[in-house]
Amino acid sequence: MTEKKKAKLTPVLDYLKHEDPFAKGVAFCPGCGLELLLRFIPQVMGNDIVITGTPSCSAPVLLGQNNQSWHKLSYFGTLMTGAAANATGLARYYKKAGIDNTVVCFNGDGTAADIGFGNLSGAAERNEPFIYICYDNEGYMNTGVQKSGTTPYGATTTTTPFGAASKGKNLRRMNLALKMAMHKIPYAATATLSDLGDLAKKLLKAKEMKEKGFCFLHVFAPCPTGWGAAPDNTIEICRRAVKTNYFPLWEAENGKIRMTKTIKKPKPVKTYTELMKKFKFMDEEDHKILQDDVDYEYCILGGLSVLEAECQLPLPADE
Amino acid sequence: MSSNVYFKHEGPWSDANDPLLCSDTGDWRTKRPVVDEENCIVCGFCAIYCPIQVVQMKGETHFEADLDFCKGCGICAKECPKNAISMVSEGEFVK
Repeated sequence: MTEKKKAKLTPVLDYLKHEDPFAKGVAFCPGCGLELLLRFIPQVMGNDIVITGTPSCSAPVLLGQNNQSWHKLSYFGTLMTGAAANATGLARYYKKAGIDNTVVCFNGDGTAADIGFGNLSGAAERNEPFIYICYDNEGYMNTGVQKSGTTPYGATTTTTPFGAASKGKNLRRMNLALKMAMHKIPYAATATLSDLGDLAKKLLKAKEMKEKGFCFLHVFAPCPTGWGAAPDNTIEICRRAVKTNYFPLWEAENGKIRMTKTIKKPKPVKTYTELMKKFKFMDEEDHKILQDDVDYEYCILGGLSVLEAECQLPLPADE
Repeated sequence: MSSNVYFKHEGPWSDANDPLLCSDTGDWRTKRPVVDEENCIVCGFCAIYCPIQVVQMKGETHFEADLDFCKGCGICAKECPKNAISMVSEGEFVK
């Protein structure tokens, strides 16, 4: 028998040092990006964390059903309007009591970008010492796929359907991570599930930087059910989102942006949208608008990442 | 540092090993991942990308999913660089 050819084990496995605190069978859809993220976080960051979160897809598992929760971690469930304020209280209490731990505020994009943005911004401004992780599935998936602030242009949801009066969402999405980086917080970053080594590095860095203040992580987590994608395409969607610059990967320390992955030849955004049913009504014109938006966002990011080296103060106008 | 330090909180009121809390998610599956042991190069991509994290190494030669909990999403088959995992319909395993 010939010797089997072996590849090197992926380095991501080295980051998974800790036990998975979740029960094996939990109620997430097959292929859910959130489940991978949720199991990944404590395995990388350690189990000595306190998670606080809001009603979302993560809540039935984190908060619990049938009178017990489906994990061994500490969890504090709160309302969408006060997620970051609640985490502020927890972090301040543990600091005052001299207990060493990490408070993780784990929310969806509905809380982070829409409902709870006010106090998220406030906590960032006060530089509270906790980690805020937003998993971005581009909509209110738990309540039945309504549009949110991060839903991209052209996406059909139950509140922006395709029909005579509406052709999907006709507004652009907001760039939440960039907004948070503009608060000049110690650490802000974007990550996605196709690049787990990058995600693990950013999680560990956030845990380290939390001593200095507020850390924000924006993680792109596809929702196969809400987006009309095949469950086995979850990772491929993430990969194409990065390769088309639809979701660029970067990190910002004290507002200074650094790209962690640059794509030499970005693919057209159509290679990303073709994987999902939510974009299937988009025609060429819509694709152009989305492509322009993606290019514009990337341009701004690229400009900001070289800003300090190249920027000059505007010259006084001639009188 | 031990790898399984849990944060000491008030009332450890939940234990993820409770059988009531481990839902029988293997029931949801319509296709099951079957690993071709010859082609597997033990890279571990299936294990890291599995959302349920049930793909484990079996005896240093190949990876295998725990079929009690595998939801059959097919991410492991899609991400395998050698296409060593195929999704086979559950009907073929019914006696």
